[in-house]
Amino acid sequence: MIRLSNVSHTYGDGPVLEDLSMSVDPGEVLAIIGPSGVGKTTLLRVLALFVRPSSGTTELDGRAVWSVGESERLALRRRIGMVFQEASLFDASVVRNVEYGLRVRESWRERLRSQFRSVLGSNGTSEAVEEALEVVDLDDSLEQDADSLSGGEAQRVSFARALAYDPKYLMLDEPTSDLDPRNTGLIEDAIGTARERGIGVVVATHDMHQAERIADRVGVLLGDGFSEIGPTERVFEDPTDDRTRKFISGELVY
Amino acid sequence: MALDPAVDLLPALLDSPFREGYVSSIVYVSLYVSVIAVSLSTLVSVPVAIVMGFVDFRGKQFVKSVINTGMGFPSVVVGLLVLFAVSNQGPLGSLELIFTKEAMIMSQFVLATPPITAISLAAVTGVEGNVRDAARVLGGTRLDVALVVIKEARYGIATAVLAGFGRAISEVGSVLIVGGNITSSDGISKTRTLTTAVQLEARQGRYETAMVLGAVLVAIVLLVNAVVVRLGDTGGMGR
Amino acid sequence: MSIQRRRFVAAVGAGALAGAAGCLGGTPVSVGSSSSAGAGDADASDDGPGVAGETLTLTTTTSTYDTGLLDAIHPDFEEMYGVSVDAVAQGTGAALETARNGDCDVVMVHARGLEDEFMRNGYGVNRRDLMFNDFVIVGPTDDPAGIEGMGSATEALTAIADAEAAFVSRGDNSGTHTKERNLWEAAGTDPGGDWYQEIGGGMGEALNNANQQGAYTLSDRGTFISQRSEIGLTVLVQGPIEDGPEVLANPYGVMAVNPGVHDDANYDLAMAYIGWVTSPGVQEMISEYESDGEQLFFPEAVSENPDFQQYVPDGWNGGE
Repeated sequence: MIRLSNVSHTYGDGPVLEDLSMSVDPGEVLAIIGPSGVGKTTLLRVLALFVRPSSGTTELDGRAVWSVGESERLALRRRIGMVFQEASLFDASVVRNVEYGLRVRESWRERLRSQFRSVLGSNGTSEAVEEALEVVDLDDSLEQDADSLSGGEAQRVSFARALAYDPKYLMLDEPTSDLDPRNTGLIEDAIGTARERGIGVVVATHDMHQAERIADRVGVLLGDGFSEIGPTERVFEDPTDDRTRKFISGELVY
Repeated sequence: MALDPAVDLLPALLDSPFREGYVSSIVYVSLYVSVIAVSLSTLVSVPVAIVMGFVDFRGKQFVKSVINTGMGFPSVVVGLLVLFAVSNQGPLGSLELIFTKEAMIMSQFVLATPPITAISLAAVTGVEGNVRDAARVLGGTRLDVALVVIKEARYGIATAVLAGFGRAISEVGSVLIVGGNITSSDGISKTRTLTTAVQLEARQGRYETAMVLGAVLVAIVLLVNAVVVRLGDTGGMGR
Repeated sequence: MSIQRRRFVAAVGAGALAGAAGCLGGTPVSVGSSSSAGAGDADASDDGPGVAGETLTLTTTTSTYDTGLLDAIHPDFEEMYGVSVDAVAQGTGAALETARNGDCDVVMVHARGLEDEFMRNGYGVNRRDLMFNDFVIVGPTDDPAGIEGMGSATEALTAIADAEAAFVSRGDNSGTHTKERNLWEAAGTDPGGDWYQEIGGGMGEALNNANQQGAYTLSDRGTFISQRSEIGLTVLVQGPIEDGPEVLANPYGVMAVNPGVHDDANYDLAMAYIGWVTSPGVQEMISEYESDGEQLFFPEAVSENPDFQQYVPDGWNGGE
């Protein structure tokens, strides 16, 4: 479980997150909805142990992440994957991109050996990489150059890249906001697969219908912490918070 | 070592006014000095560029301006500074480096480092923050992130190395001062490079042979460029 | 130059080298070979007898270097001692400065005034007259200042200055440049203006420059001969070799760097070199060296007359 307790974060001019508490469990999909500029990205970065919040605690599986040593934090960080709004692929082939997370977890000796093998051309693609690419339906473009992919394909590779090293949690920051319906569907399917594997998925989105389709729980972020966080159906059908209701019904326009 | 046949061919090609082994020995000295100097420069410049690109520290602006000034530093001034350092009277005098290839390597190192650092820095800062974040979020250590950045910036860094190599191998002022333009009496170069050989020919008014040596120099620079660009295309795709 | 190298060589092959040096027989510096013959104090064997494998650094002028003389004679020395000679061609001023800094072992230059200053300051020892050639004033064949055949160099320069005819000066503090300035001074003229150009380059560059713009210049005869087939300049005022004025003489001297000032100078080898280059055999080689069918240098070291002046600065009275 990732748990944030009383997290505030200040960035630049003013507070982005204020006194926010929440948790994510393995095997659930939590959607964070809210208008843009409200701190969804910052929240995901905090959850990915990528950003240390100005105050409050971040715990992963019972460990206070920012109180442990550097090497333990690295180990904790490696339980988490993240996909950004832009694909951010390395300038290399699809397979090189997807296996990156596996490579950095190897010892230098192993890395040298596989580097050597790949120069000799005898480097087989690992099962994990092929599986991850199967999940996003791209297992036939292993050797393609990343920069020759379409935007949708690139984002799917990016998803596979985060999935390949079998993380316990996955942070998805507006993963489909730039994508067409077909690619959006493939990513949503992949989110379902991740959930079935017991991965805790947090997905930030401004598409309420998407949240409704894929999420077990929804958190509504409206400026200063969650106005509402709970089971998807209840939040959408019967929001307790007035502003949440207005936001969901489209009356609250930012 | 692919260069060897070419080097062997050169004297024959020239059907030369020079003694046997003369041209190939100055080509060898030129390459030896410049390749080592540029390799050392690269080993220093690229990490410096990465640190400069990612880390904020006091005096960063100052370091930048030193690098930029260094790019335009006249080679003869560098030659004089290295001369003072390695001269018998200088701080490194006891190493007896004056009129040696090692002294030439030192001066070319000083000359090549600023452009390699500056161009690498531009290449490194050109790598998108997203890509750096991706490497980190995928579980990379700081070193892994640095390696990713180098890999992403490889064309820019290759350009930087080529620029440094171009400056080093075509530079005449400092190697003349610290190297002394020496050949042994059997006509084999000790510290004579293509540039100082050209200078020697020109000094004696033998402009035609100077042109021939100049053409060899240009050919080498082109060849090295081609080799590096080729390597950049095939290699660097690892991991 | 290298003390470490010297020690190393000494340690590795003292005995063998002593033998080798002995075989060479009669060379000026078969240093330690005599140690076996009884001179044998401990120092001699510790320091090692041999110079083989060492490098002698000689700074010299572009005029000796560019004529190819050194490349022609040095193999003999290198073979005799098993050493190598690094000849660095600089202007006379730079060659002496390099020696002052202790960055070479022996100097061969041609500007007596600068050499004297060098010795007076204690940097050089054991100066010997080596050889000479002469300077000539060369210029375009149409000779706009009309100096052809003049018997006085200073008159010729005055004529050039009066005509404001183009004149190219080395301007590099070399021996030739020093000579040129002395001549202007003797002529009572301070050259300046558009017609007088200091190029800051070697003799060959100066000749080429003068050739291209039809200018006069002062050249050493050796460089002019080796280059005359490629340029259109002609000798207008001869030096003493062709019965011109004595003031255009161009004597070369050779000196060792004072080991009392620079204790890491390779004094042994420097003295071996001076002994060798002033020996009758090498003096003969120098006189036989030709370029374009002409003798370039005239040996001066071997003489039956005592010439004490070669060892001391000009005007030295013994009481300094």
